[in-house]
Amino acid sequence: MSSLSNAVVVCLLIGAAWLLRHLWHDRYWRESGLQLWRRRPLALITLAVFLGIGLMDSIGWVGGGGGEDDEVAALRSRTLIDRLFQPERFTEASYSAPLAAVSFYGGQPLKYPGSHLLGTDILGRDVVYRALKGIRVALLIGGFTSLIVIPIALLFGVSAGYFGKRIDDAVFFVMTVLASVPSLLLLIALVMVMGRGTVQVCIALGITGWVHFCRIARGETLKLREAEFVDAARALGVSDRRIIWRHILPNIAHLIIITFALSFTGLVLAETILSYLGIGVDGSWGQMIDQARNELSRTPIVWWNLTGASVGLFALVLAVNMIADALRDIIDPRTRREGQ
Amino acid sequence: MAAYLIRRLGYGLMTVLGVLLLLFVLFFTVTDPDDIARKAVGERARPEVYAQWKKNHGYDRPLLVNRAYAASDRRRYTDTLLFDHYRRMLSFDFGNSDADDSSISRRLKEGMGPSLSLTVPLFVFGLVLGVLLALFVAFFRETYIDRAALVVCMLTMSIAGLLYIISGQYLIGMLLKWFPISGFAFEPWLAARFLALPLLVGIVSGMGADVRLYRTIFVEEINRDYVRTARAKGCGEARVMLAHVLRNALIPILTNIVITIPFLFTGALLLESFFGIPGLGSLTVEAIHGNDFSTLRTMVYLGALLFIAGQILTDISYALADPRVRLS
Amino acid sequence: MSGAVGRRGIMIGLVVLALAGCSNDPYPSADGNKKILYTSFSEAPKTLDPAVAYTTASHLITGNVYDTLLEYHFLKRPYQLIAALAERVPAPEPHADGGVSYRFQIRDGIAFQDDPCFALSQGAGRSRKVVAADFAFELARLADPAVNSPLAGSFAPVLGFSQFAERLTALRQADAAVANLPANVQYARAGGIAGVIAHGERELEIVLSEAKPQLLYFFAMPFTTPVPWEAVAYYDGRDGREHFADHPVGTGPYRLASYDKQYRMVLERNDAWYGRHALDAAPGSQFPGEIDAEDIASRAIDAGYAGRRLPFLERIMFVREREDIPRFNKFLQGYYDEGHIVKESFDAVVQNDSLSPQMAARGMRLDKTVEPSIFYIGFNMDDPVVGAAAGERGRKLRQAMSLVIDSKAYLELFLNARGVPAQSPLPPGLFGYDRDYRNPYRQPDLARAQKLMAEAGYRNGIDPANGAPLKLSFDTPNTTAQALLQYQFYVAAWRQLGLDVEINASTYNQFQAKVRRGAYQLFTWGWIADFPDPENFFFLLECSNAQSKSGGPNTANFCQPQFDRLYQEMKSLPNDAHRADLIRRMLALLEAERPWIELFHNEEYALSHAWVVNAKPMGLSYPTYKYMDVKPELRAQLQAEWNVPLRWPLYLALILMVAVTLPAVRTFYRERQ
Repeated sequence: MSSLSNAVVVCLLIGAAWLLRHLWHDRYWRESGLQLWRRRPLALITLAVFLGIGLMDSIGWVGGGGGEDDEVAALRSRTLIDRLFQPERFTEASYSAPLAAVSFYGGQPLKYPGSHLLGTDILGRDVVYRALKGIRVALLIGGFTSLIVIPIALLFGVSAGYFGKRIDDAVFFVMTVLASVPSLLLLIALVMVMGRGTVQVCIALGITGWVHFCRIARGETLKLREAEFVDAARALGVSDRRIIWRHILPNIAHLIIITFALSFTGLVLAETILSYLGIGVDGSWGQMIDQARNELSRTPIVWWNLTGASVGLFALVLAVNMIADALRDIIDPRTRREGQ
Repeated sequence: MAAYLIRRLGYGLMTVLGVLLLLFVLFFTVTDPDDIARKAVGERARPEVYAQWKKNHGYDRPLLVNRAYAASDRRRYTDTLLFDHYRRMLSFDFGNSDADDSSISRRLKEGMGPSLSLTVPLFVFGLVLGVLLALFVAFFRETYIDRAALVVCMLTMSIAGLLYIISGQYLIGMLLKWFPISGFAFEPWLAARFLALPLLVGIVSGMGADVRLYRTIFVEEINRDYVRTARAKGCGEARVMLAHVLRNALIPILTNIVITIPFLFTGALLLESFFGIPGLGSLTVEAIHGNDFSTLRTMVYLGALLFIAGQILTDISYALADPRVRLS
Repeated sequence: MSGAVGRRGIMIGLVVLALAGCSNDPYPSADGNKKILYTSFSEAPKTLDPAVAYTTASHLITGNVYDTLLEYHFLKRPYQLIAALAERVPAPEPHADGGVSYRFQIRDGIAFQDDPCFALSQGAGRSRKVVAADFAFELARLADPAVNSPLAGSFAPVLGFSQFAERLTALRQADAAVANLPANVQYARAGGIAGVIAHGERELEIVLSEAKPQLLYFFAMPFTTPVPWEAVAYYDGRDGREHFADHPVGTGPYRLASYDKQYRMVLERNDAWYGRHALDAAPGSQFPGEIDAEDIASRAIDAGYAGRRLPFLERIMFVREREDIPRFNKFLQGYYDEGHIVKESFDAVVQNDSLSPQMAARGMRLDKTVEPSIFYIGFNMDDPVVGAAAGERGRKLRQAMSLVIDSKAYLELFLNARGVPAQSPLPPGLFGYDRDYRNPYRQPDLARAQKLMAEAGYRNGIDPANGAPLKLSFDTPNTTAQALLQYQFYVAAWRQLGLDVEINASTYNQFQAKVRRGAYQLFTWGWIADFPDPENFFFLLECSNAQSKSGGPNTANFCQPQFDRLYQEMKSLPNDAHRADLIRRMLALLEAERPWIELFHNEEYALSHAWVVNAKPMGLSYPTYKYMDVKPELRAQLQAEWNVPLRWPLYLALILMVAVTLPAVRTFYRERQ
């Protein structure tokens, strides 16, 4: 499991590096990128930090460093974040308030007084650690799902839009059917039928989410098919595959990026609802919120669990929302055409 | 026009059939009817009780082909789960709940009232308030109000719906004691008391996205030539906004709203569940917890049906308004 | 904008506040001075058919609507049976062949509540007298496989019970039309149960093929209530009529006036109840005469009610509350008369094991009762690693795993210590429970557990087969995030031994499927007694009830011949020294074998407000509403005192609103002019 995760991380890093290099050499994208940085530095930094923590939490290996007193942990793959926090040791008996020196109930001295920034939960686990672990899950839910969905949606959407006729009819029909079912109900039905688990939830989110992408890709391709430069390419005898690759895809890329950013937040928020219904992903912020929602009624109030998860969720969603918003302004098709 | 109407309706029917196929694949081929039966009548029941239960709920037929009949017999294909699923759903014969044998149609009827009494005001208040606020913001466009409004919209959009509910219940229900924390009543006077809090939470949680969208529509409309003409004519700013911009922006706004209409009936899942409103949303949540597949199936089907109907109505009204659509 | 959103929000708030009369009172004010008890329920009853209903949720209704031949004495502990519909508690009459008879004399003048179904037999009449045949009819329904009563197995000792079921099944198979006849006609055709004899209208004889003293307890459960055949025939769910499972027709002190399980259930006083008209003092219709001084001192019972005629409440309203927190808060606000503590609010209500001074000042009362229940972690004894096949090694592993589970810590973390750490399956209050007994494997002792692990060949939890920590799977039927926390507690405990236990939280269906396939190692489960007898706990570990053999409730598949022998002997004995000795020997076997890790016996903390009278809980799942009363004036007064809305934030927000928007408008006009 850990080797798979490591491999995925390496692949992602290589892919991202390639993409960034590629984009950097394109004047338009470079300028858009710089403009985005000027307009939303804070959101970009936040996102980068989250991505960094997510990556640190994905690179893991067995053995070495800490945890020798716990056989089970020593033989499990532990990520950089796990090694940083040493969750096997860095726990208390039960609740403790942020930076407290004594336990929340009973007032016994803590093992690690004053070092739990956001206190500990009912089982004495560090809340900061749990909230940070939630980052990877959220990125997985949002990012992984989108990464599955976009290629499929592009394949169907673009081919439907470009080739038209039977293919378009078939794709359009499937899209209509899936779009007709209220997405939350479909999502619930899918998870209930497929069972719980991260992969299952991602697949269910993918099935309910790809239609939106597909429709946008199809619509835009329909427009581009009639564009002069595509006609010209066709007249010159360029193959369909090449036209799609060289002329259509680059011209819908901006839409895909914006839709990706918008759907990402939708996916992360949808998971909280699934968690409330008991069919969410283990270790997610949604699950933390669900576990903590009754703690507000404790006297004295226990607020740090809910806060830890909510702030994480809010920061990520807000950052992505802000970036998506700025991106939309920057790479709006109209301004883009003028630039060409 | 008639040809267009028939074509559109035909396509709608096709979509319904497609949705039913999707439901069939989801609910009949992936879940074992034996499991549903065991859950319903208990693990220790006798085999004949299982058989009887499966018969009562229509799970005793083969999936696609009934080999009990000869190849020439039509019943070879009609006495099957697939055919029965289509027949029952299309004739609105939903049968009984898998969990407690109660009639699903009756439960739907019971749940409709509470659901509508929450979702209709939510819809109306949300729409009116969203449009008013968006007008207000568009009116002050490019001032600090506009900029602040967009930031607030963004902030409110980034908070999970669950958190709105949790904090609303805690602050207003428990600390301030303005309204009952949860519950429902059928007497209108009392119902207003119960519905106030979920309405408030529902409206606030959805407001950010709505205002942002409507504002964009308004600003686009304001930049059009006719607005400039109207202003040149000497219309006051307020008059321009209300008489011209609002009227012309209503069409894109309404198009956006049609999509949300099925949720009026399927109920607001989280709100109903947290605030103890005995509507269709609670029914769905209960079906999820009780593995009540037949109820869940029905809810998904009805939601889809309403959505398709809404789409057809929108398309037809477009066609009535714009003759070019009919020809394409 | 924040201002603007807020402003509109508050404007709506104002309008709605004005509309709603600015109050959080959930009830119509006209009901304020009636004798109505307001309470809540979280799980909807699945069925109200007395032959099937088996959950506490159902018993809230069936226990009030259906009367039984016998009842438990409201106040006496240990539990004692009294006569209700019967004239007296019958004594066993042994037969020469080893069988036993019980003769119930049925009280005179008992009638069913008014109901349209009686048109089937009475013409214009809307009610009918109860006869012995009505009891026999219900007992036949228990045997009927189509009714699928969960208690069918328990009535097997009744002479001819299973033979009747077989005859009935054969009859239906022979002629499909039979199944469509009214149930009473079908039962008559099948010839009735040999051991259930109605002598005339007022005597019912039950013949058992062997002695089974516990059977009498079943006659205090709604399973054996008289049921009119008319109701079963009429409420068949066809032509717009309800199902019998949703429309009870009984003789009890209350009748079901409104039933919407999503919303609320309302019981109204049944004016035809025998207790309101009986001339003689029937024990089930009167408040007990002798009241413990202790109960009076703790205000559990008001001495002024002694000997008074029941019931006192006009109406009982059960409101559906799915979530614990709102439910408890409405109780605190005074809108529910009784409530149960939720763990989050525990510290606000209870301090040092009694009510907090604030709550006591409000006049609230706290009643603690240990439920006759047991929660446990079971081992699948058929499993090659943890089960019987692993011999001494498996036994030591089970003992070690049992030694590290600290029930006391668990109870403190998750249940505010509301519960008794279990030493054996037997809960307090049952015959055979020894309060001084300490199970040596249930006293947390890590060192000893580690030693046992080493002896079992798993030193430090390492499985010698592959040199890695021993992996075990822990199956649970609850997938909620809340439950996951609790399972993680156990896993953390086992991890001290070096065991790598994986939690498999699955839905109820998936869990049951796993259990059927035998694909489980550890699982967690609970049991609440049907009746206060040790037999009702030990049968969960008897071999013939094993899941893998008969699909029975012995999910641990525990099969131990010596245990079974002792069980067979113990189960039909009266509560004497010999029985106590047998139970001790059985417990000693369980102690060493460890098929279960007994976790705890749940303790119920029932709260009631100052205006509720006689709120002493029963412990068993029997509603005691007919003994309860309320003081509506006191309630109205206290509710008003406790629910003064806090208005200043509203005014503050309004002022802020104006302060924010005014400059905006001014700026705008300055710019545009």
